[in-house]
Amino acid sequence: MVDFLQNIVDGVMVGSGYALLGLGFTLIFGVMRRLNLSYGPSVMVGIFVGTWFHLRGAGLLAVIAATLAGTVLANVYVDRLCFWAVRQRSAITAVVSSFVIWMQLEEAVILVFPDRTYPFPRLTALEPIELGPIFFRAEYVTMFACVALLLAGVWLLVYRTRFGLALRAVAQDPVAARYMGIPLDWIGLGVAVMAALIGGLAGLLIAGTDQLVIPKFGLWATYKGLIAMMLGGMGSIPGAVCGGLLLGVAEIQFVWYLGAQFRDLAAYFLLFTFLVLRPGGLLGQAIVRRELAAFRRI
Amino acid sequence: MSDYLIGVLSNIGMIAFLALSAYVLLVTGSISFGQQAYFAISAYGSGIATAMWGWPLWLGMLWGAALAGLAAALVAVPTARLHGLYFAVATLAFAEMVRLLLQMLTWQIDVDGTLIGPMGSEGFREIRYIYAHDISAVQFMLLIYGLLGLVVGGLTLMERTRLGLALRMIGEDEIPAEALGVNVAACKIFAAALSGIIAGIGGALYAHLITYIEPALFNVMLGVHGLAYGLIGGLGTAVGPLLGVVLDIGFLESVRAFAGYRMIVFGGLVALLLIVRPRGLLDEVTVHRIVRRLIRSDHVAH
Repeated sequence: MVDFLQNIVDGVMVGSGYALLGLGFTLIFGVMRRLNLSYGPSVMVGIFVGTWFHLRGAGLLAVIAATLAGTVLANVYVDRLCFWAVRQRSAITAVVSSFVIWMQLEEAVILVFPDRTYPFPRLTALEPIELGPIFFRAEYVTMFACVALLLAGVWLLVYRTRFGLALRAVAQDPVAARYMGIPLDWIGLGVAVMAALIGGLAGLLIAGTDQLVIPKFGLWATYKGLIAMMLGGMGSIPGAVCGGLLLGVAEIQFVWYLGAQFRDLAAYFLLFTFLVLRPGGLLGQAIVRRELAAFRRI
Repeated sequence: MSDYLIGVLSNIGMIAFLALSAYVLLVTGSISFGQQAYFAISAYGSGIATAMWGWPLWLGMLWGAALAGLAAALVAVPTARLHGLYFAVATLAFAEMVRLLLQMLTWQIDVDGTLIGPMGSEGFREIRYIYAHDISAVQFMLLIYGLLGLVVGGLTLMERTRLGLALRMIGEDEIPAEALGVNVAACKIFAAALSGIIAGIGGALYAHLITYIEPALFNVMLGVHGLAYGLIGGLGTAVGPLLGVVLDIGFLESVRAFAGYRMIVFGGLVALLLIVRPRGLLDEVTVHRIVRRLIRSDHVAH
């Protein structure tokens, strides 16, 4: 029973990283109706920019700023090239376009960083916290706290500002939003920057916990974020968070009871079952029809 | 012909099957990120048949392709009602499950004193049928292109039948297709099975040409490349995906100046191309124009 509880705690902590990645995906999808496969690779570019500064002896704050800036630049590049420039109706073309840019980003990073792994600075140097029989790793607690703060910030931004209002208007109906004088291009850019900042923070927290970065991080982040978003329901912000936490808990439980090789298998099995039985995810039923309209003609 | 040229041409031929399998689904309006699963199932299935059970090549390939088609049909049944991105991610999840299960598959038997069979993530070595039977690289390349010709021809003919029209109708919009009496669910399962078989032929050829396969080869990169080739080349005819493969493997891989920068060049070019032509080089409108022009010049000649 203690094991089970410990797994849930660890799962929630690990899952909070997935929740951030899922949140970025769901923001882009909910507003732009586009799947950005290059989202994970953009985060990967960001953390490699951070590592570049770290290797040259920059301080922690500089590394953090560089990581966020790198992610934003990479994601805006993807957004302009794959979503802004590709015609509105060609949703699948935009997905494939974001995939080829993924290949491009990955190769560019490997050209500059030819080794297999690179170090990343540790974000906190705290001792693990012990509450009764349950252990809390300090990095994970930091991650969880950052995620909770960030979620509150995103909620405020989306539901309490003019920008958030515009965002929700575009998500509901882009044509009507344009008639109301909302500049769609600028909203798209704003969403790309916002998603990149969230992803960059997720990348920082995850790379800081592992203290290393690899080029395959892009693939990993896209997978985890995509699964978190789909489990929660595409386009739903609370859904992405629930999906990420569920994914984290499920993974840790499967690893504990069945073995490490079942970690990814469990995640895909969960995803497949969810898609077949409940395609809308945990919290996103209404979006299904809207998505259908966006993807009707490929 | 140099060995290098034969190698590149064989590669183009094999990957073309994957692109064609993604194309069949694209025409039907489904995007699959998981065609690599059927490629893998058939590669393993046919490899096991020829290397472990001693079956002849044609039977092993038939078996592999049939397995792949069956798997695709079975996946299509629960996923037939999913659309767009949901279908894409479901196929991705299935393909990743296949890859991870292949990583756990260890099954070796004694064949003439050596242990042969898949060994988890170590892969499956010694699928030596074409070496054991003295089939030359050129002969095997001809086999690849013979089968490819059959598939492209078959697809082109199929597109001229009522079934082909029904598939394109579903791709345009399912609801009117259903209203006009097309059995949408059955057509989708048929298209999935067909795409599985086509990917399976490619997978069986692949396993026998390179003699060594491992689960890591069949990752999502392979599948999404297959999908991208269809969109680059164009969704108008079955020739489109071939054009996409030729452009990528044939052109960029062969131009040595791009070595090391290949994906950067390719990625940039494709992204720009898709801005100008969202449905690929040979899209429906272009194909229609070309066909009309051909018919007209035919009339003039008479």
